[in-house]
Amino acid sequence: MPADTKSKELLLEVKDLKKYFPVRGGFIKRGVGTVKAVDGVNLFVKEGETLGLVGESGCGKTTCGRTIMRLLDPTSGEIRFRDPHLGWVNLEKMTRKELIQVRPNIQIIFQDPFSSLDPRMTVERIIAEPLQINKIASGQALKDRVAELLRKVGMRPEYMSRYPHAFSGGQRQRLGIARALALNPMLIVCDEPVSALDVSIQAQVLNLLEDLQSELELTYIFIAHDLSVVEHISDRVAVMYVGRLVELASTEELYYHPQHPYSEALMAAVPKPDPRRRERPIKLPGEVASPANPPSGCYFHPRCRYAKDICSHETPPLREVSPEHFSACHFAGQLSLRGIITGS
Amino acid sequence: MSVPMGSQTKIEEGIILRINNLHTYFYTDIGISRALNGVSLDIPAGKVMGVVGESGCGKSVTALSCMRLLPKSAKIMQGDITLYRPIKKEQGTSRIVDEIKLTDLDPMSLEIRNIRGAELAMIFQEPMTSLNPSYTVGDQISEAIILHQEVGAEEAKERTIRILTQVGMANPTAIFRRYPHELSGGMRQRAMIAMALSCTPDVLFADEPTTALDVTTEAQILDLMRDLQAAMGMTIVFITHNLGVVAQMCDYVAVMYLGRIVEQAGVEDIFYNSKHPYTSALLNSIPHVGSRIKERLQAIRGVVPDPYSSIQGCPFHPRCDRAIPGICNVRVPAITQISEGHTVRCFLYSEKAEENNAS
Repeated sequence: MPADTKSKELLLEVKDLKKYFPVRGGFIKRGVGTVKAVDGVNLFVKEGETLGLVGESGCGKTTCGRTIMRLLDPTSGEIRFRDPHLGWVNLEKMTRKELIQVRPNIQIIFQDPFSSLDPRMTVERIIAEPLQINKIASGQALKDRVAELLRKVGMRPEYMSRYPHAFSGGQRQRLGIARALALNPMLIVCDEPVSALDVSIQAQVLNLLEDLQSELELTYIFIAHDLSVVEHISDRVAVMYVGRLVELASTEELYYHPQHPYSEALMAAVPKPDPRRRERPIKLPGEVASPANPPSGCYFHPRCRYAKDICSHETPPLREVSPEHFSACHFAGQLSLRGIITGS
Repeated sequence: MSVPMGSQTKIEEGIILRINNLHTYFYTDIGISRALNGVSLDIPAGKVMGVVGESGCGKSVTALSCMRLLPKSAKIMQGDITLYRPIKKEQGTSRIVDEIKLTDLDPMSLEIRNIRGAELAMIFQEPMTSLNPSYTVGDQISEAIILHQEVGAEEAKERTIRILTQVGMANPTAIFRRYPHELSGGMRQRAMIAMALSCTPDVLFADEPTTALDVTTEAQILDLMRDLQAAMGMTIVFITHNLGVVAQMCDYVAVMYLGRIVEQAGVEDIFYNSKHPYTSALLNSIPHVGSRIKERLQAIRGVVPDPYSSIQGCPFHPRCDRAIPGICNVRVPAITQISEGHTVRCFLYSEKAEENNAS
């Protein structure tokens, strides 16, 4: 599966995407600043692949995912999506009405399976809702489609009349996946779909996502902070730090030959499940920069052990270091950075 | 009464805490939840003992039972917990230890309150809910010092600042005056660790101390705990579901499933020579970072049963690929010793069953 992604066509292209949130404060609640949650993200997604989006909490992964889907309106930038009927469209320019046509093709799976399902709706209503709204099916056909979707995610159609509280976390996540699949989407944004689940259940849901991908030719943007899960599921990985993309490369390249010091630190920090490979993490001094008041130049420079003068006053652009390997570091390609060390 | 866990004679010397056949039940409106169903665990002094398992398997309840911090709805029904207090100034070869049965103490008694914080300490999972929002970090830490170490406020403050420096806070005097909400997640967790370490406890229960943190912060907290453990010779009971953290931190590991320890061994044995089907299944269900092999994950089928239901036989048999019909679904396997320090509860290794113990 990963081998032939290079030849695949582009499905989504994001250029210089920005999403700022105003910070209000003071007596009359006027704007006192902005949080630059997403600050100039460039990425592309090819058809049929999984793009992992990783970074620490608060780095803008979720905001980025939601802005791409237009669940949030971008401050600026371009989001180009190849719709099967309309061809290439610019999502950021579309009105709400126009978006209705594109929406069925881009769906989302949420992180928390407890808050993303309405407790007062039956499973049938939850999964049928997108089909009803888009007037795709009704009556018996609707019921059949819901049953089919439930089977697809490994649940029994008899569960249709139950309420979400009757299900465990893993089962609820399956319901969330069934809902996302209802409209036969092309692209699914998976926002930390397994973070809330126990390890043994995580594996079930990851396997399900992989099976569905090959069966239905889905494209995933997989947002997660667990680097081992991302390595497992992704063809390519994008690393975010304080609203910016610092590195974008194939999973193999990024994990074993990172070209950004932040990626290197991340790889060293993953606790490896092998007692014979105990290693010390790379010390990152200080705290993650605040997106409301980021440092000058490269946002990572105050914590970077390779930082030089230029890093504090010039923002490094995301550039192609080697084919399909992008890094936003002034010294990318010159540093010899350590990736994950493989077991002997 | 027999002591079930392995080589008793040898282990006796270095044991600091012994949990023997512990049953803790919760009495709730919807029934009795048998959270612990006969947990037996010897915790060696000066080592890091990992306790792993999925949520609801009784990891935290085990720690809370030892700390005697269980909520009112919970009762210790059976079994005991013994703390072997080393008498620290003792020089001679015949090490004098003072035994104290924690299970005999009233959870509100002065005695247990003297032990808690001073000898047994705990780090909780969520630093935001376990720090008091209305007191400064410094006040909360020095409170424990004043209570347990008979020092004045000035001295306590000095010690607090010293311990804050030890846990890697960049500006300890400023942090002393801060309230919990002014700190980031990683700093709050450091404050929690500082509080737990303030009276140099003998045993530290760390209940998922890094689960809520980001990887880079997690790595730093783990590194810090490792350094402090080595420096202070402290015993740590490390509760987690993250097998990566276990591999990096622990000397010994106990794997729990539905209120029982199903396998216990040294960390290398758990990762390279695991015996219980549940341990192997857990290891196969996680993606191994850096393995370079894109294999399909072997998920464990089904889910952890809810603790209100009772399962006949071995609690893992409905999900086990190697379950033997007629045996595993009838009786509960007893603890079998595989090798020195490696014990397992499974009929694949022994026919010994637990007597009259319906789970």
